[in-house]
Amino acid sequence: MNLIRDIYQSIVRRDPLSTDKGKSELVFLNVWLHIHPAKVKKESLKFKHTFYLGFITFFLFVILVTTGIALMFYYRPYPPHAYQDMKDLQFVVFMGPFLRGMHRWAAHGMVVCVFLHMCRVFYTGSYKKPRQFNWVVGVFLLLLTLGLSFTGYLLPWDQLAFWAITVGTNIGSYAPLVGGKLREILLGGHTVGEAALLRFYVLHVAILPSFMILLTVVHFWRVRKDGGLSRPVWKLKPNKPEQLVTIGAPPQTAPLNAVAASTDKTYGLMEVVTGKPIFETITPDEEEDAVFSYPYAFFREAIALMVTVTGIMAISLFFRAPLEELANPAKTPNPAKAPWYFLGLQELVSHSALLGGVVAPTLMVLALLAIPYFDRNPSRRPSDRKWAIWLFTIFVVANLVLIVIGTFFRGPGWALVPPWVHVVAGAE
Amino acid sequence: MGRRLPQIFFGLSLLALVLIVAAVWQASTPSWKTYQRQFLQLEAQGEPNAVTKAAVLATPPQIHQVMLTGLQRVDRCTTCHLGVDDPTMKNAPEPFRYHEGLGSHIPSRFGCTICHGGQGLATDKKNAHGDVQFWETPLLTKEYIRASCGRCHKEGDVPGVPELTEGRHLFETQGCRGCHKLNGVGGSIGPDLTEEGANHRSPEWLERHFLAPNAVSAGSVMPNFHFTKDQARSLTYYMLSLTNEEMGTYYSSERLIPSIEYGRQLFVEKDCIVCHAVGGVGAKVGPDLLGVTKRHSREWLDEQLVNPELVYPGSAMPVYDLETNARKALIAFMSSATPEDAQAIMAHKGTGLAPEDAAIEAGKRNFARFGCAGCHGTELQGGLPNPNAQGGQVPSLVHLADDYTKDEVIAVIRDGRTPPLEDAKGPTPPLYMPSWKSLLSNEDIHQIVEFLWSKQQKKQDSW
Repeated sequence: MNLIRDIYQSIVRRDPLSTDKGKSELVFLNVWLHIHPAKVKKESLKFKHTFYLGFITFFLFVILVTTGIALMFYYRPYPPHAYQDMKDLQFVVFMGPFLRGMHRWAAHGMVVCVFLHMCRVFYTGSYKKPRQFNWVVGVFLLLLTLGLSFTGYLLPWDQLAFWAITVGTNIGSYAPLVGGKLREILLGGHTVGEAALLRFYVLHVAILPSFMILLTVVHFWRVRKDGGLSRPVWKLKPNKPEQLVTIGAPPQTAPLNAVAASTDKTYGLMEVVTGKPIFETITPDEEEDAVFSYPYAFFREAIALMVTVTGIMAISLFFRAPLEELANPAKTPNPAKAPWYFLGLQELVSHSALLGGVVAPTLMVLALLAIPYFDRNPSRRPSDRKWAIWLFTIFVVANLVLIVIGTFFRGPGWALVPPWVHVVAGAE
Repeated sequence: MGRRLPQIFFGLSLLALVLIVAAVWQASTPSWKTYQRQFLQLEAQGEPNAVTKAAVLATPPQIHQVMLTGLQRVDRCTTCHLGVDDPTMKNAPEPFRYHEGLGSHIPSRFGCTICHGGQGLATDKKNAHGDVQFWETPLLTKEYIRASCGRCHKEGDVPGVPELTEGRHLFETQGCRGCHKLNGVGGSIGPDLTEEGANHRSPEWLERHFLAPNAVSAGSVMPNFHFTKDQARSLTYYMLSLTNEEMGTYYSSERLIPSIEYGRQLFVEKDCIVCHAVGGVGAKVGPDLLGVTKRHSREWLDEQLVNPELVYPGSAMPVYDLETNARKALIAFMSSATPEDAQAIMAHKGTGLAPEDAAIEAGKRNFARFGCAGCHGTELQGGLPNPNAQGGQVPSLVHLADDYTKDEVIAVIRDGRTPPLEDAKGPTPPLYMPSWKSLLSNEDIHQIVEFLWSKQQKKQDSW
């Protein structure tokens, strides 16, 4: 019995979870959990504040990595075989369709959730000082997500993949001077072929995921270091902005609870560096709102994880990932469409290649990156930032409308055809 | 709420478990396993004792597949069609029935889809039979399946499939190439037909299309050639056989079946009768061919056809560049040829042609082969409707010499021409004269013009 206890205690060193010390140690002593604070503000966990979109996005990424690695066992990134491997996944690999379904639906879900997460952060003003840089990291994470989805789109090597990538990379080639070269480097040639498939594969399974993981770590780290989970707007105290301290610079206001160094107390390195106690963000009057991360935060996160996983599994059980005919460069579908999240761009391109394909997306990304630095209004209250909310809403709605038009309202020859009108294509 | 969090988490975990079990169940109960169980029961019925019966029933389910590297396909049809090569399953119900009459086309060498179509990689009925979106070659019905013979046997006569021979003949004589490309040769007014057999067009559609193009494809430029039902069927067969797959040597070596009929064709084409006789009928320059297959081995004859000088130094026989199966066909014909055959061939053969006539003859062949006849008619009568072109139809060529010089006609053939419009504001006429300079040599064009001039009719005197 002693042996078993010894083994258990060698693994789990904390006190029992029934004690506050145990709850704190669960966080401190665990490499996976210590990105959390030991205590969190209760209202930050409110569902209607964040909708847990950041967590859900991260969990979708975890699903994608897991299923993606499993799929790599069955896939050869070479044109004659790639498509056959898809068919094998569909017909002979045990749970192959389920696996591929999960990967495909989680990928679409991630694009959606990243976008929704961005909207949530904007509308709650959570990108404001000192979180500006984390918003910038988030924009790059959005771009990486689109890049991952786009590179993954080609891998099945069916008609959908081939023509979506052909159209998608054509949009990029409208950039003056560098556009054509850029496309050539990306595709390893002038058309989508063997070289393009290999390049997209390497980008999809090695390069982009590495950057994704790196930036995700930075993103999480910065959430913690920039003051933890943001607080709901409705909990903000009137006329008193949050007392948050920027790392590396001396605090502008004296931290509450600051006491002169005492000879009776041992100070940790963190306290010496920041010049304040570790629980800096929790003031005595807030203390009553704070709860231990275990169980309050952890169970909520775990529930978000389970909802994400079960949701994707349920969808994959009933809906198969599509697979069209083998890619055929000689047979152009009409209309050939880019992946749905780029259809807004394609719609713009159909009006003006240079403006729609180059200027508009570049400006969009630059504008997103600049938001936290241009929006100097310190208030997070919607009533104080009507202009910002209007502008962003117009941006979101315009994007959605363009995507809906491109997806559902464009028929052969990119002519305006409502989805309820059936067009018989291929009449000669 | 806080207190119920663990319960919710536990409930969701349970749901996840249920979903995993459902996914595993879904994956482990494919329909082919049911078919295999049924087949094993069928097999076990025939076993005499209980031990072997149990052994048969205990066979674990597995996917059967035929890897056909030469045909670049993998056929898993035998996963369910388990009795295909088992003669004892002659009266078994489908999908287990034995496939009779395959001859040398055994499933382990040919698979199924090369003839039947469908999706060889699939392991469920709907997908395997190709009756799904995004699969271009669904199963061919019994009525049309013999068209598949032409996928490997691309040339010559295919025994038992006269439709293919007829279809090919029609294609080359009715001027289809005037508008359609096939293997790189032909016009570009209509679609390229090189891979027409892999295009997910139903045979019924093709057949109706040949009978009345406009009825199935509204606004089609293709004129109605007034084919008979049999001709439409033959052309449909030919279209279904057109695929552009790469095939291994084992399969492509039978492009041409060495049949006696094809041997006779070659015998006529190569004018063997000019030097040889069969049982005394014919010329006496070379040896008489009656019983030649009894005097010499087939290998010897084959060598003789490849390189006559090697067998008989100083032989007067010219070298004919014949492929293996063409030589086989010739030898097959020689082994069966009788004096009556020779008589018939002699009777058909006209007298030798003068050089001018030879040019006209060659021009006539080119006129048909490159598809001029498609629009201008086999008798140069023209007359196909061509809306908004001057006169509203393709011009007749029988009075060509009245309005044009030979050089002008050569220029039109070489560079092509869009017809002058009837109404300058109206739509572009669907048919036009394509440019032929990339396909036809100057000599070809000259021959065609000679042929056209030989057909000119005297203008009716107005007196």
